[in-house]
Amino acid sequence: MSEPLLQTQGLALAYGGFRAVDGVNLSVKAGTIHSVIGPNGAGKTSLFHCLTGGRKPSEGSILFDGADITHRPAHARVGIGMARSFQVTSLFQNLPVKENLRLASQGCDGAKALTFWRSVAAGRAHIERAERVMERLGLTAKAGTAAGDLSHGQQRVLEVGMALCGEPKLLLLDEPTSGMGIDDIPIMTHLIAELGKDHTVMLIEHNMGIVMTISDTITVMSRGQILVEGKPEDVRADARVRAAYLGEAAA
Amino acid sequence: MKRLMTSKGLFGGTTLGVVAILVLLPLVLPSATLATEIVIFAMAALACNLLLGYGGLLSFGQGLFFGAGSYLSAIAMIHGGVGLIVALLIAIVAGALIATFVGMLSIRRTGIYFVMLTLAFSQTGYFLAYTLSKWTGGDNGLLDVPRPALGLFGFDLIDLKGADAYYVFVAVIFLAVYVGARRVIDSPFGSTLVAIRENESRASAVGFDTRHFKMLAFTLSGAVTALAGALYGMLINYVPLDNIAMAMSENIVIMTVIGGTGSLIGSLLGAGTLVLMGDFLSAIWPRWPLLLGVLLILIVVFLRGGLWGGVESLIGRLTRKDEA
Repeated sequence: MSEPLLQTQGLALAYGGFRAVDGVNLSVKAGTIHSVIGPNGAGKTSLFHCLTGGRKPSEGSILFDGADITHRPAHARVGIGMARSFQVTSLFQNLPVKENLRLASQGCDGAKALTFWRSVAAGRAHIERAERVMERLGLTAKAGTAAGDLSHGQQRVLEVGMALCGEPKLLLLDEPTSGMGIDDIPIMTHLIAELGKDHTVMLIEHNMGIVMTISDTITVMSRGQILVEGKPEDVRADARVRAAYLGEAAA
Repeated sequence: MKRLMTSKGLFGGTTLGVVAILVLLPLVLPSATLATEIVIFAMAALACNLLLGYGGLLSFGQGLFFGAGSYLSAIAMIHGGVGLIVALLIAIVAGALIATFVGMLSIRRTGIYFVMLTLAFSQTGYFLAYTLSKWTGGDNGLLDVPRPALGLFGFDLIDLKGADAYYVFVAVIFLAVYVGARRVIDSPFGSTLVAIRENESRASAVGFDTRHFKMLAFTLSGAVTALAGALYGMLINYVPLDNIAMAMSENIVIMTVIGGTGSLIGSLLGAGTLVLMGDFLSAIWPRWPLLLGVLLILIVVFLRGGLWGGVESLIGRLTRKDEA
């Protein structure tokens, strides 16, 4: 299980003269939970955008499962086994929880979903997958509730569930706990740790508690570059990480 | 979603309501021709609803598809001597192709730019029809459009010259289109279209290439709209230049909004309201579109779900009272 599932080589994303991501060589091993942390403006979200296809990198390449996906559009990354969640909850607000998950399951079929002559009821596999994921998220009781009517914590959980429906090899989670109340965070921590058992997870997170408990590897970014990478205990002890978070003066 | 739950079967629920309306229309209205006009425009509004109500795509190109269906089927019958079925098929295929082309280019932009692109295509079609007067009759319209008998392999089976016979023919086609549209709405494609309307970036993130879905919506909408246009030409034995004009696009969108976006049966209500208002009021007062404007404002401001939304909430209120 030491093969890298996702690998970037010299990845860069420039906005005009500003290089938000500046030569990142990242390697996410299969079967691990890999977290990317760093102070605000370190380039975490820009890196995430490049990985999910939201932005085209200015330089470098991205390899996923042996294939070069640098220029693949976002929707075409789902079929090969990548799925993402959003930092700002992005659901089909007016549709029921179950329909949200069924649509997400249908998404990995790509162009097959253009079928317009058959009823959705014929897509048993999608309905069953939605039910399985709902069970796993503990949202079965809310199947018929519109996603927008769930509590914020439940919406964050459903957000992760949407990515899960693609049965991905790699789950890319963008700040899954963002905006969650202190009581809900353990639920999310438990869910991600649980998912880590049978998925490779790449996580961008601000919450140090989560990152330190569940990560196998942590990459610390600063000013668009990788500052430190290692096991949680090594990263915790690293002086450069403290400096990056607390500012130059503290170094 | 609620709508899907209450009337699961394709032939149950609102389909039964549509059958009832189709049977009652010619009995209640003064002429079968008026009833036919309503049903034809309901078909056009239904197709617009697929784009606007389900896909969230406001297209002002519907008049182009309608007009193209009218002209091409009429020209095929006049110059090519084709029969009824072939003429209608020509309209359907041409409508689908033109709409695919318009859709393909228009959906490259979103929001107001998308709307403007559909409008630009519509205007291009209008001036094309105006310019090609040798084929279209230009400003005078295309005269003497035939209404062939319904035949098979060269044998005339049913004569459609009579207003009643033609109504039945159009009503049967409408019913088929209605059932087909319900299936489309309830299909993987239809449910994805709703997902794209709800949240396009999420739809894209779970793996849908949203442009393909929007394009297919245009193709289907164009085919049905052109079919309606062809049937309209045969109804009035004439293709006025108005069929492809801006006002036609407008009228189709207004019918859809008045009837209720996102409900197929609403399109029948919307078309009925507009055609009947035109029929009754234009005889009394030539400035009747003023009243139409007022009606549109009232519905958009006070009745968000359109006329059918109003009917639904009324039914909901009545049944709840029964339970209490």
